Parts: sequence; C-alpha cells; structure tokens
Amino acid sequence: MAPSFLYHPVQLSPAAALELAQTAPAVLKSSPSSVSSSPLFSLVGGPEKSEQWIQFENLILACLRTGDDQAARKCLERLVSRFGADNERVQALDGLVKEAMANNNGELEAVLKEYERILSENDTNIPIAKRRIALLRSMGRASDAASALVELLDFSPTDAEAWSELSDIYLSQGLYPQAIYAMEEVLVLAPNAWNIHARLGELQYMAATASGSAANGSHQKHMAEAVKRFSRSIELCDDYLRGYYGLKLVTKTLLSGEDAKTPKQTDEGGFALPDRSTLEKLHELATAKLAEIVRRAAAKERGWRGYAEADVAAARELLAQDTSAVQR
Amino acid sequence: MTLLSKTFTVFGSILLAHACYSAREHTALQSPRVVTAAALSSSPAAGSVSLPVDIIIETIVSTVLIITGLVLGTKPLRPLEWRVWAGKIEREGAEGFTDGSGKVDRDYVGNPFSVLESRPNFVDIRRQRREFAEWSRQKEKFLQQGQ
Repeated sequence: MAPSFLYHPVQLSPAAALELAQTAPAVLKSSPSSVSSSPLFSLVGGPEKSEQWIQFENLILACLRTGDDQAARKCLERLVSRFGADNERVQALDGLVKEAMANNNGELEAVLKEYERILSENDTNIPIAKRRIALLRSMGRASDAASALVELLDFSPTDAEAWSELSDIYLSQGLYPQAIYAMEEVLVLAPNAWNIHARLGELQYMAATASGSAANGSHQKHMAEAVKRFSRSIELCDDYLRGYYGLKLVTKTLLSGEDAKTPKQTDEGGFALPDRSTLEKLHELATAKLAEIVRRAAAKERGWRGYAEADVAAARELLAQDTSAVQR
Repeated sequence: MTLLSKTFTVFGSILLAHACYSAREHTALQSPRVVTAAALSSSPAAGSVSLPVDIIIETIVSTVLIITGLVLGTKPLRPLEWRVWAGKIEREGAEGFTDGSGKVDRDYVGNPFSVLESRPNFVDIRRQRREFAEWSRQKEKFLQQGQ
C-alpha cells in the first residue's frame, strides 16, 4: 500500500520514504507550475486544496532524505511561488534544503549564520528557531541546542513538540531527571497521548536502571513511576504492544529484585510501589496480553496487522526469555 | 455500499415512484367523477376522497425499505471510547479505517500524537540522509549476494 502523503516522512521506513520520493516527478508534472492567488483564478480553477501544499512539504523531506536534491528544489520552488520566500514555514524548508546540501562544516556555519540573521530581524520566527536548534544539535553542540530550546520554551511554553525535543536532548546527555521533567510537560499539554505515557515510562525505567540510581535511593521511585505510566498507557489504548511490553519488563525486574519483598513508602509522598500480589497480577496480565498479540499478529489475523514487525519480534523475544527461564 | 443495501434502496425507490404514480393517477381518475357526483347529490361531505389503502401501505413500505438500505450501506461507525479508538489504530493500522471499497480514509494519519515523538520541525536531515545512504548500500549488497 502506498504511504499516504499525510504521513510525515520522518516516521516512514527507508523503503516507504523511497517510494514516496519516487512519486515526486509525477506529482510535479500533474500540478500546475504556477498558482495565482487572485480571486479570478479560484473562480475558474476551482477551490485550492490545502493538502496539495502539505504534499509538497512532505515530498521535500522525502526527496532530501533519499538524496533526490533536484526534485526537492523543484517542490520548494512551487511553495515559494505560492507563499513567497518570506513565509516562515517556507524559510524553514529552504534552510532545510540548504542544510541537506551542505558538504562541509563551513557551509553549515553559513546556514547557521543565515538562521541567526533571520532571527535577529524577527525573533518570534518559531520554525526558523526550531531549525537552528536542530542544526546546532546535528553539529554536535547539544548543550547550545538545549539552552536555545529553553529560551524558545520561555516565550512559547505550550509547544509540546519543543518540550519533547528538549527531553530527547537531555536524555542524550544522560540527564534523566531533566528529561523526565520535560516529558511530563508534554503530558500536561497532551494528557491523552498514549505513546507519550509509554515514552515517559521508558524514560523512568532507563533512569531506574542507570548506574548510580540504586545508590541514591531513587531506583524504587523511578520503578514505581514506570509501572504507573505504562499502566496509564494501556488504560488509554487497548492492546497497546509498547505499553504491555514495558509493563512486563518493569514488573519482571521488580519481582526478580530484592526490593519488591519489602515495599517501603517513598519519603517524598510520591507514588508508592504496589505490593507484590498486585505486581504479580500486572505481570500475568501483561504476559497474557503480549502472548495474544504476538500470536494473532504472527498469524496475520484480520484486524491485527497494524503492529510493526520489529515490535512483534521484540515482544516474542521477551516472552521467550520467560519460557527459557522456566525450562532451566 | 454492499449489494444488499443497494438492492434494498433501488427496490424501495421503485416502489416509492410507483406509489406516487398510482396516487396521481387515482386522483386524476377520481376527481371528475367526484365533481359530477357532488353536483348531482349536492352534498358537501362527498368532496373529500381518500386514497385507497394499498397505495398508503406501498408508500410506507417503500420508505422503510429505502431507509433500511441506506442504513445498511453506511460505513462502520467509529469507536466512541478513546481507548477503543486508540487500540484500533494500534492494532489494525490503516486497514481499520477504510471505506467499503477498501480505500483508506483521507483524514487517517495513524496515531495523531506520534508527531510528538518524531518531531518533524526538529528533523536532523543530515543524519537521515546518512542513514538512508547506509540502508540503500546494505540493500544493494544484499541483492548482489542474492545473485
């Protein structure tokens, strides 16, 4: 099945991105090269479709990713001729094309200078500010990117995407508490996002298993939070493989560890670890659900084909660890 | 629309058209007779003529048939509960959001919150290009080995 052009090509697999990029010449050919925004034109030519421009935007990303720079530039020309070169979103796409075509560090620095020049004229140009942060991070200056992002969030605190990026930058630097805080801000803005709940659970699990957390006593707190987050994600989404996977992993670690036998109250009044029988029940539930998902997804039953193959394989591996432990 | 719903709707429409035609013919044939009868007897009560009961029944039955056909032909309703809807996206993917002919709905975008994790405005295009080049190289190697 051809990927819908409404999918952002960032999330597509390489093969799907290639497939999308290869449609570029046909799309370019089928749509008129210049669009007039005069009312007369819209009377004659019918209503303008907004999807068309999203399509061009996504094509630019897919073409750049697959190395088809020429087609990307042509798509960009269409957007420039429609919206003008000083449109904020078009400016960001233009910068993206330049970034992708830069061959050495000097050219990247030039792109960065260009971003800074645009921002000095108008420092509320959010798309360009985001590009600048992404470029800084791409050039290996993660701490600069983090401070620039904090500045951006200072005047635009409801930008969930930016909080999520900040969390990712902190995670790449190993700053777990900060990463968790930023991800919690995302949840404040999108409280029903089941994947963000699972992501936060994963962050908590990573923080709990990181070296040094056992020493300062935050291990149990993080594990309790992870149980809570994964449970919430499966509460928000039936048969959520990622949530059940995380829940099983966390409860298994807790049940095999020593600390589960003596659940002690966390001193900060946070979420206390549930007792052993509850954990066992959660573990059983997660195992049963995972086994069902793996069985039905592997059989390609109707209505169970939406899972990614890699996810199902990982779940199968986790279940196999269990059975091999029993056999031994 | 399935074949069943189409049959129901078409048959109902034919019945309805037939009922309308019958009603019209009935009034056209009846009215001169009524006028003459009224003139002869000069009684005011004979002025109103009711339709025969079979035309009335036909109209009702045809309407019910059309409605049944249309209801049968609607797309499966979307889940109301959040967790059911979310589970449908995760479990079935695009396949769960198709109309009768198997085409994916235009507004289907998968998990709407996945952009919070892929973060398209912060995309590191240079790394993506490197990864794609690596992927295509490996694919080529794999194809060469296969030959």
